[in-house]
Amino acid sequence: MNPPSAAAILLAVAAAIAALVIPFLGMPLLTDIDFRICALAMIAISWNMMAGAGLVSLGHSAFWGLGSYAAILSANDLGAPFVVSLVPAVVAGGLLGAGLARMTGRLRGIYFAISTLATSEGLRVLATMLPDLTGGGNGLYLDSTLFPGNAAISLAIPCGAIVAALIAWAISRSRYAFALRAMRNNEAASQMLGVAPIRFRVGIMAVAGAIASLAGAINAWHGGYLDPGVAFDLKTTIDAQIAPILGGVYTLPGPIIGAIATIAFEEFTRALFGGMVGISLLVFGLVLVAVVLVLPQGLVGLLRKTRRR
Amino acid sequence: MTNLLQLLIDALLMGGLYALMSVGLSLGFGVVRIINFAHGEFVMLGAYGAYWALTLLHVDPLLALPFLIVLGYLGGWLLFRGVVAWVLKAPALNQILLTFGIALVLQHIAVVLWTGDVRSAMPEYALSTTIIGDVFVVHGRLIAFLVAGTLIAALTTWLRYSETGRAVRAVAQNHDAAILMGINPGRIYALAFAMSTALGIASGAIVSFLINITPFMGFSILLKAVAIVILGGLGSIAGTVISAFILAIAETMVAYYVPEGAGWTEGVAFAVIVGILLVRPRGIIGSALAT
Amino acid sequence: MTPLLSLSNIRAGYGASLVLHDLSIEVGEGEVVCLLGANGAGKTTTTCVIAGLVRPWSGEIRFAGESIAEVPGHRRVSLGIALSPEGRQVFPEMTVHENLLLGSYAPHARRDRTRAMDQVLALFPRLEERLRQKAGLMSGGEQQMLAIGRAIMSRPRLLMLDEPSLGLAPRIVMDVYAAVAETARAGISILLVEQNTEAALAVADRGYVLANGTIAASGSAAELRGSALVRSAFLGIQAESAP
Repeated sequence: MNPPSAAAILLAVAAAIAALVIPFLGMPLLTDIDFRICALAMIAISWNMMAGAGLVSLGHSAFWGLGSYAAILSANDLGAPFVVSLVPAVVAGGLLGAGLARMTGRLRGIYFAISTLATSEGLRVLATMLPDLTGGGNGLYLDSTLFPGNAAISLAIPCGAIVAALIAWAISRSRYAFALRAMRNNEAASQMLGVAPIRFRVGIMAVAGAIASLAGAINAWHGGYLDPGVAFDLKTTIDAQIAPILGGVYTLPGPIIGAIATIAFEEFTRALFGGMVGISLLVFGLVLVAVVLVLPQGLVGLLRKTRRR
Repeated sequence: MTNLLQLLIDALLMGGLYALMSVGLSLGFGVVRIINFAHGEFVMLGAYGAYWALTLLHVDPLLALPFLIVLGYLGGWLLFRGVVAWVLKAPALNQILLTFGIALVLQHIAVVLWTGDVRSAMPEYALSTTIIGDVFVVHGRLIAFLVAGTLIAALTTWLRYSETGRAVRAVAQNHDAAILMGINPGRIYALAFAMSTALGIASGAIVSFLINITPFMGFSILLKAVAIVILGGLGSIAGTVISAFILAIAETMVAYYVPEGAGWTEGVAFAVIVGILLVRPRGIIGSALAT
Repeated sequence: MTPLLSLSNIRAGYGASLVLHDLSIEVGEGEVVCLLGANGAGKTTTTCVIAGLVRPWSGEIRFAGESIAEVPGHRRVSLGIALSPEGRQVFPEMTVHENLLLGSYAPHARRDRTRAMDQVLALFPRLEERLRQKAGLMSGGEQQMLAIGRAIMSRPRLLMLDEPSLGLAPRIVMDVYAAVAETARAGISILLVEQNTEAALAVADRGYVLANGTIAASGSAAELRGSALVRSAFLGIQAESAP
């Protein structure tokens, strides 16, 4: 990987500062958009991290939902304040990731994707069927006495996104980057290179799972309400893959650019078809299909191509 | 004892429908080698097709079925030629995301057309019952079972004995050797995908005899179908049919014997998927289109 | 007279690696031509190019006087080109009978199916005993007979056989080659691809020696039998690769 250009570093730093400053400008609409972009960027980075190792996740709502429940339950049942409650969320997400990696040790491609899909659905059923713990289908409200204020939550999410981006960057600069790419292209070859795929797999999925869970946890504090349908919403899974695909899969800036583009696109379609239910997601699906067909390298690929010309 | 009999009859009737839902998915995978994540949406569209037939045209869903099958075939053919064919040689990631995107599009076309409200396309006779001994047979379930059985029998007969059916199996078993026989694999792919779509649509039309219709019903149907297809061995029609009955029986038993079992039934498919993928990812029962 | 098949200046390969460069061969009407060469010389690529499974990068393929470079593989069967591929490639989950029926899938062959079936079963009586058996469960020799029989079912004008003796017991090789000779007597042109030089030259009229993707030598079967090149290029390599 080439060292990033000065302009790229500058742009990344500017984006990080903007994400951190926006919540203090006193513009609720902009703060909301900032929140959504950062939350989406986190799961997109997490998804892209796994995809980079050849692991296509169709179950990011599992990490997201688990993190949400871990945070809210540790707050409600143990009285954990906001920041403390994020710790069990991160741990739970990491463990789920590592556990899934161990369990699905030999599975690749489509088989792995299906097992993640089934996991998120299984967790949803579990959350519904354990009403004593989760409130079941009736849902669960966050203990409002613990609410840390909007500013703390609005600041936490860009911090989370920045940390996620830095982790992804660190991985791409480390000696593991090569091994992960080898895993994506051919696991047999990576074994011959002396890479133990299962160890990398556990590692990458633990990190990716923790990031997605953290995003879910912060979002749960933001929303203040959870039920199995909200926590394990298929929409989360879809968002987690649309953003990196749109931005540029396997690239560092891809998930972030994709997150910005996705939210911008969402706002745009909402402004355009606001009243018509379903249209915006319909257009979303069309974009996903179109991007896979004509722009498999995403916006980043498009940028690189136009620059080379 | 009679209770058990009643449960087994219910499961058997349900299993036929499950088999029909999954056979299409299995056929598509066996030949085209792509798991179609939009398959549940085909079932959903079939159900809405029956709903429109009943409410707009006052046509019985059973009479509408042949037309829906033809429409499904044409739609599937167009979808394949227009979209799916372009990712046949692409990495699995692109294929997965593409069919996922198609699912999203179809789901929200349904939201736009029919809103998210729950609908029903049950003709009155579907709710009546016959009592044989101590066993209740709901007519809707019986009809669904018979239709599913007929369609699956027709499919397997066609695959086994017709010239084109043989060509479909040839392509599934050895793509290059099929070309050497003078078979055009591109045509067979389109045909198999279109058929798989038509089967999804057909099972949707008869699902409407049993359950309510929503634009979002496809996902849980897909999950069940995937569980069944994996259990049966990806691409094996016979394996698919057998495991459809296994899943139906397992779900029925869980619903009845486990406390609050009705809620847990949705988890049975999940348990099957995870169990199979852990133990034997190639499936338990069959292999490549060994009908 | 124009030959039935002619390849001129063919370049072909997979991905970025070139396998055939500047390959030119001919097969005349009614001729038995063998293509000899060591492992990796490009023999199988040649048959795939002729059958339309591999698209050549450049060069000309003519069959019965027409250029067929643009004709897709599945349509070449109707022109009269058949291949019994390397590794047999029978349809494992189907019966012998179904495999043979597939051989006559092309419309012109379908019309003549009954007669072709009788001929093939007469040629390979073993297949008749195994008609209801799954092809994947048969021995290597039986699968080889099935692959050849399946190719003959398509009523070819040119029959290509890729390594029909590979991995077979000597007695079975004799059976297979007896069938090849009989097919040739019926007037079908044959392109025989072999590492088993001796067996191939015994039935062939002419032969080519392929080395590193191009023709290293050619001549009548008798000439090639005595050729030092064939011996050195080949028997040496064969001796090496033998366990």
